[in-house]
Amino acid sequence: MKYVKQGMKNIKGFTLMGKTGMAVVCVVLFLGIFSDRLSVHPYNLPSGSAFEAPGPVHWLGTDDLGIDLWAQICFGARVSMIIGFGTALLAGIGGSLIGICSGYFGGLIDKIVMRVTDIIIVLPDLPTMIVLGAFFGPGIRNIIIVLALFSWTVPARIVRSKILSVKEEKYVVAAKNYGAKFWHLTIRHFLPNILPVVMVSVIRLFSKAIVAEAGLAFLGLGDPTSKSWGLILNHAVNFRGIYFTDYWKWWIVGPSAAIMLLVTAIAFICRDVEKIVNSKI
Amino acid sequence: MVKRIAKRTVAILLSAIILAGSTGCGHSTLSENKNGNQDRPVVVNLEGGDWGYPTPFSHYARGPGLYKMTLIFDSLLERGEEGYIPWLAEDWDISEDGLTYTFTLRENVKWQDGQPMTAEDVKFSFEYFAEYPPVFSDLTVDGKHFIQSVETVDEKTVKLKVEKPLAILLGKIGSTRIIPKHIWEKVEDPQKFNTPEAVIGTGPYVLKDYIKEQGAYQFEAFKDFWGPKQRVEILQFVPVSDSILAFDNGEIDLTRITTDILSKYQSNEEYKVLRNPAFWGYRLLFNMERRTEFKDKKIRQAFAHAIDKDELVEKIAREAAIPANAGYLPVGHIWHNAHAKNYGFDIERAKQLLDGEEFSFKLLTGNSNNEVRIAELLKISLAKAGITLSITSTDFKTRDAAVKRGDYEIVLNGHGGWGRDADILRTMYLTEKTSNRSPAVGGIPGYDNDRINVLCRQQLFEIDAAKRKEIIFELQELIAEEIPQIPLYNTTGYIVFRPAAFDGWKYMFDHHGVTHNKLSYLDVRQ
Repeated sequence: MKYVKQGMKNIKGFTLMGKTGMAVVCVVLFLGIFSDRLSVHPYNLPSGSAFEAPGPVHWLGTDDLGIDLWAQICFGARVSMIIGFGTALLAGIGGSLIGICSGYFGGLIDKIVMRVTDIIIVLPDLPTMIVLGAFFGPGIRNIIIVLALFSWTVPARIVRSKILSVKEEKYVVAAKNYGAKFWHLTIRHFLPNILPVVMVSVIRLFSKAIVAEAGLAFLGLGDPTSKSWGLILNHAVNFRGIYFTDYWKWWIVGPSAAIMLLVTAIAFICRDVEKIVNSKI
Repeated sequence: MVKRIAKRTVAILLSAIILAGSTGCGHSTLSENKNGNQDRPVVVNLEGGDWGYPTPFSHYARGPGLYKMTLIFDSLLERGEEGYIPWLAEDWDISEDGLTYTFTLRENVKWQDGQPMTAEDVKFSFEYFAEYPPVFSDLTVDGKHFIQSVETVDEKTVKLKVEKPLAILLGKIGSTRIIPKHIWEKVEDPQKFNTPEAVIGTGPYVLKDYIKEQGAYQFEAFKDFWGPKQRVEILQFVPVSDSILAFDNGEIDLTRITTDILSKYQSNEEYKVLRNPAFWGYRLLFNMERRTEFKDKKIRQAFAHAIDKDELVEKIAREAAIPANAGYLPVGHIWHNAHAKNYGFDIERAKQLLDGEEFSFKLLTGNSNNEVRIAELLKISLAKAGITLSITSTDFKTRDAAVKRGDYEIVLNGHGGWGRDADILRTMYLTEKTSNRSPAVGGIPGYDNDRINVLCRQQLFEIDAAKRKEIIFELQELIAEEIPQIPLYNTTGYIVFRPAAFDGWKYMFDHHGVTHNKLSYLDVRQ
């Protein structure tokens, strides 16, 4: 509860850009949660003829199969949000825990963890993700796992270095001398210290995951019948001669705008959070 | 540090500019070649892609692979606009009992390495192919080699003896590639033989360059070619990302277009548009070994009723297609039976046939946009009848391999060759083993129908064309009723080219694509 209050106070400290970003993310979240009710038409069944231009019936037009694009974008928001949150939480929590252990215990654990992060950081993530995506097969769950596998290293490293310095703080040493154990120290002293820095990297991961999913789907590695934004784009640009027709005006512009809007909004939030965190340190 | 980064950025920018400049130069020389001076060689560029090394043994088992190989290797006969035409064989004669085929070879035919071609080479080729079957056009029928012996009567006469008179032999023998004895007699593993020697034939084009990674090929006219003069001196298959954009930029000379942009090209004098005959199509295959439910005719018929072919034609093919026939042979085929049963789109009827039962199957497709979209529409319409499909898409080579292995429950497969001799029905519906590596050939796993088997064999041994036609008509009616696989639609896509650059494009009598036709590039008067 204390953290939530703190968070609300922080949001008040956001710039106008940050607040706008927050609003956009909330809207997308809203779209994702209530996607079935926000659109008159189904997202997975044809509801008109192919390539209807945007109009009163189909707000953003229809695609080649005659499926309403607004409905697909609403549903795509859900996919993007699930993947964004899923990856960010999985990688954020997992990475932080690994970082805390590595920083606190040091020694062999630290060495192993740091070498593993080195290896993963060196691996170019997009090509490896393409290979893993092709190997494990499409599906939202697999994409989250693959993305998380490649993103936990950033929070892990940041947290480890933070823990290394916090560990030496006098109050932590004192608590330890009074017999405080690892879990007590983590919850009582480490978490409040690392939370702000983890926040920043988690928000970054969030947008990275959304873009990566869109990228994988765009390359045709996503689930071929899911309706993520990347996949709508994939179908659109692979339609023969789309740029010589009028269809791109709604079929490509809609989902691209959605991705850009969301990612830019997250970037603004990230910038503000970083500012607030930095001023505290 | 900052300085170093700045330096690097400048270097990268500079190299990017230089690169951009050099590609620009490339285009201008190409366009000069075509439109400028008449003495300059005619260069034709087409969309690339890796279809394997063009020998009869190692090209990829699909049209674009086969027809690159045939530019280099000639056969005794060639497919013209109306039918088979004399090629390496000037003349041929079939004995009255249909057991002896005598071919008189052309004189002064040279291999691309300068050696003369003789009857020995022809004899060698047939014997070699009997031992090592090539990718396409195997010399077996019904699991047995149909050629009993090959004799050379003299330098320019070859006599082939066959076991039984068969209706399709002239085409089979005539389209077998002739390979040089002096090169191939030493080769024991032809699939791995891919040195420059492996691509020496008597054909009009010499392979100059092949870059597998880029899918780029360069063919050059063979100076000592025996036959009609080549109209195209250099034929290149170049990598492009979007073929319509590439065509618009003049990087390639011919492309497929959709009906949506047809008017842009039809109304412009600079372009010429042709409509392909409907000899390419998609079909849905059932694996009855994997899912024995498919052995029940009612379920297959329910599928046929639950699929809206007109919707597929309208939405996926953008009207540039015709719904395929349940009897397989497309409307444009010379022996198409218009009276064979066809299944209208009728969800209620499909539900009746399924008797209220619900099923779920896995559908395998390629990952091209069309295939994925067809799969999506199939999923939607079959769901209404109570059939759930889960879709997996892979790249087309993986899909083709799965088709050959029978590793699927239902597969969506698209290929050409629907206009060829009606014997294709036998290669598809009759259970038999074949060495042909094409995913368009081979039976339906687990399907066996006595009457279909009988008719397939009967038409093969029937020499009288009229009687054979009757059998084929009956076969189509039976196939349509049985519906062991579901033909979806046959494409009649449009192609566009600039006649000022090159206008020799012609169709073969039974094929859908002009770029596959060797005669397109030659100065042939028929």
